[in-house]
Amino acid sequence: MQEVNTKAPKDKFFREIENVRHPNETLIKTHCAYCGMQCGMNLRVNTKTNQIIGVEPRYDWPVTVGKMCPKGVTAYQQTNHPDRILKPLIRDDASLKGTDKGFREASWEEAYDLIARKFKELQGKYGKDTLSVFSGVSMTNEKCYLTGKFARVALQTRYIDYNGRFCMSSAAGGFLRSFGVDRGSTLPWTDIHETDCLFIAGSNTAECHPTSMFRVWNVQERGGYLIVADPRETPIARRADVHLDLRPGTDLALANGIVNLLIQNGYVDEEFVNQHTNGFEETKELVNQFTPEYTSQITGVAVEKIIRAAEIYGKAPNAVVMFARGIEQQHKGVDNVSGYTNMALVTGKIGRPKSGVATFTGQGNGQGGREHGQKSDLLPGYRKITNPKHVEEVCQVWGITPEEMPQPGVSAYEMFELMDQKTIRGLYLLCSNPAVSAPNQNFVRKALKGLDFMVCVDFYLSESAEFADVILPTVTWSEDEGTVTNLEGRIIKINKAQEPLGESKPDWQIQVELSERLGRGKYFSHLKTARDVADEFRLASKGGYADYYGATWDKIDKQDGVFWPCRDEEDPGTPHMFLDKKFYHPDGKAKICALPYRPPAEEPDAEYPLRLTTGRVVFHYLSGNQTRRIQFLRDMCPEPYVEVHPETAAKYNIEHEEYVRLYTRRGEAEYKVKITEAIRKDTVFVPYHFGHEKSINLLTIAALDPISRMPEFKACAAQIEKLEMKKVQ
Amino acid sequence: MVKKRLYLELENCIGCRSCLAACTQCGGHEQRNRNYVYDVNPLKNRQTMPLMCLHCVNPACARSCPAQAIQIHETGAVLSALVEKCIGCQNCTIACPYGIPKFDTEQNLMYKCDLCIDRTKDGIPPMCASVCPSNTLQWLTDEEIEAKQKQFNLDNGKWVTSMPYLEGETNVRVNLPGILQGVTKLF
Repeated sequence: MQEVNTKAPKDKFFREIENVRHPNETLIKTHCAYCGMQCGMNLRVNTKTNQIIGVEPRYDWPVTVGKMCPKGVTAYQQTNHPDRILKPLIRDDASLKGTDKGFREASWEEAYDLIARKFKELQGKYGKDTLSVFSGVSMTNEKCYLTGKFARVALQTRYIDYNGRFCMSSAAGGFLRSFGVDRGSTLPWTDIHETDCLFIAGSNTAECHPTSMFRVWNVQERGGYLIVADPRETPIARRADVHLDLRPGTDLALANGIVNLLIQNGYVDEEFVNQHTNGFEETKELVNQFTPEYTSQITGVAVEKIIRAAEIYGKAPNAVVMFARGIEQQHKGVDNVSGYTNMALVTGKIGRPKSGVATFTGQGNGQGGREHGQKSDLLPGYRKITNPKHVEEVCQVWGITPEEMPQPGVSAYEMFELMDQKTIRGLYLLCSNPAVSAPNQNFVRKALKGLDFMVCVDFYLSESAEFADVILPTVTWSEDEGTVTNLEGRIIKINKAQEPLGESKPDWQIQVELSERLGRGKYFSHLKTARDVADEFRLASKGGYADYYGATWDKIDKQDGVFWPCRDEEDPGTPHMFLDKKFYHPDGKAKICALPYRPPAEEPDAEYPLRLTTGRVVFHYLSGNQTRRIQFLRDMCPEPYVEVHPETAAKYNIEHEEYVRLYTRRGEAEYKVKITEAIRKDTVFVPYHFGHEKSINLLTIAALDPISRMPEFKACAAQIEKLEMKKVQ
Repeated sequence: MVKKRLYLELENCIGCRSCLAACTQCGGHEQRNRNYVYDVNPLKNRQTMPLMCLHCVNPACARSCPAQAIQIHETGAVLSALVEKCIGCQNCTIACPYGIPKFDTEQNLMYKCDLCIDRTKDGIPPMCASVCPSNTLQWLTDEEIEAKQKQFNLDNGKWVTSMPYLEGETNVRVNLPGILQGVTKLF
């Protein structure tokens, strides 16, 4: 029988290519372990040993057509890596916390017994909310969903939050305010190369989402324009038609300045603004003061560049505004997101193909993982825990009463504050490495060390695991199956290529078994496979904004992924958002936001005259717990460095490759100097993937956005000190 | 099977070294990468460029080899030294105008890019061009390459980006930085 081809039409980058198949090998179709691009890949599995032995491009994946960055190419090396934790580990001597010493191998029985006993003890003494769950979004929707249920139903604590607070929460907050819904991209990635202008702010795309680059360059090849706002001349900014080289932390002024010019120069789509938006008049009034001169004064960007950027964006028949952590990891990250989104709303360049707004999602499942109840105030399907109707809907799926649903908790960084205050005494940490990735590390590490009892679930002994009493070995992405939602909002399928190594188990299974030990088995014991979790999760999301009910695994396979919302079996999903110009606020209109400018929480002064900003390199992912162990990636970038402009270096009398002390009001570290003209003179940059004494987050500031609770990783005040006598060979 | 070639568009390179990582993944490559990516002027900017074997039609490496260890495949790919023939003299590493052949002192053996011959002999793109996220490395037909050349050549005689060859005739085609100078803006 001829099968109907329901897959999306392939774009011009697609080539019909057969994969190489070696004898005694099978190829498992899946996606990368790392960022939100979720590049398609085939894992090569030896059919005799049943082990993953390599990678083969997945040419037929429509988003990335076989392309992979160096992290993706080497991702498979995680699975059978010698550093894998193969058995549960217990540390009896708590005085060794904060080191990797003192762990002994134990059985799952012993580990579960200890955890159940300690958790019960703590909750008996200090109440249910003394336990906390700190999670992450580098895992499947099914796991993210179950982690939320595990915290609220098995542990019955209000304190659950996740590392998306260091990643995507500002984008989420901004989109919710502007559109009433938070889908990271309003259009599929296969539209990007067909637009006429890309306005990219705070995204080092070439290093952080490299497989977007063939589409980005193609815009310019076609005669379109590329505008990049970044304090550094990153590889994408190098080729931009206009590089807006702004001071870190001044994005909102730039956004307001450009919106002002769009309004002044007649680029407003009046019909769209009148019929489909609110807030235009207030915004017009507010941005009026952001003349090019005033904007230039705040941002440090030349007046002509601001005018030219606004002119190009205004004139472009189609344009996409894109941004990433550069604008989001600020204490006004949500305002920055809404501020740049205003550009699309006042000009009506949204709600149609080739035009829209998108954020480059950082973590693999940064989109899906934030929608289904790992956030302190959210429940599956993007439901609010403060909305009684939403609570009731989820309670029906979970089999608890609304009275049993815990209250909202606090954000990720605020959990460390509660640990420090002894409000929280126990921690179940999974899929995250906050001892590298959280800001103000001296405080965070002290909080972790002070815990009465901590469980860490990981497949490697991370810097955070060094604070644990018990480490439970989980699996890598390649040893389990489930769905992930990529940066487009496309739900895709991760497939299992190998059995779990050693005694490791998938997170969902660990949580089910632990729930049974905690006497909550009746809510979890029916979940025997990843697919069981998937079915319950789809049901729990049903009717929410982020409705996954119709996104069955079969449909995902047949359609090359399913864009949410996808409400039932017949619904093919929603690649383009707002085609009907209906937004998700109750009146169906989008909100143009009037946003007063605020400077970064800590501005340079005489004592700390430099602006410190942090970010990534192409060779590492997040805290580096995975990528620092892969030899190719480690060879390419073995240690962090501080980027300094040559004129600034001359002022401090420091040279290329010399080690210097970099310090802020919160901490200090020594870094090798990398001299480059590709950075502002008033700014220094350090990549954040490194731990212990090399972590730049010893220096960063925990100034939180009032809405998203995102810390300001991207701007604080710093000073450099020359180290005497210490010159590298 | 339509013949395809490796085509380099240097302007696109973002320095990610994915081509090098992927090179190690090709079946016959024993986990060693065989090409190079250079920072063009690291103290100044982030420009990078790959230096790949260009698979010369009349390759200096093979001509300089006293042991005939470097064979040329019927597809034009200049292969890595045959283990049983290579005498470890390193003539090839000196002869190559691009400095491509690498030398393994432990094995006393030269190794170089073979254009992933176990892929390209069947028309499957080499690993580097398969994964390259920026389309710096592409696997194209001669027609597609000709179209590129037309698209990027300026007819004012001031700037020619697409050169037929750099030294002698090569199977790989290179487009030097500057491609955007010939592009007409949409508006």
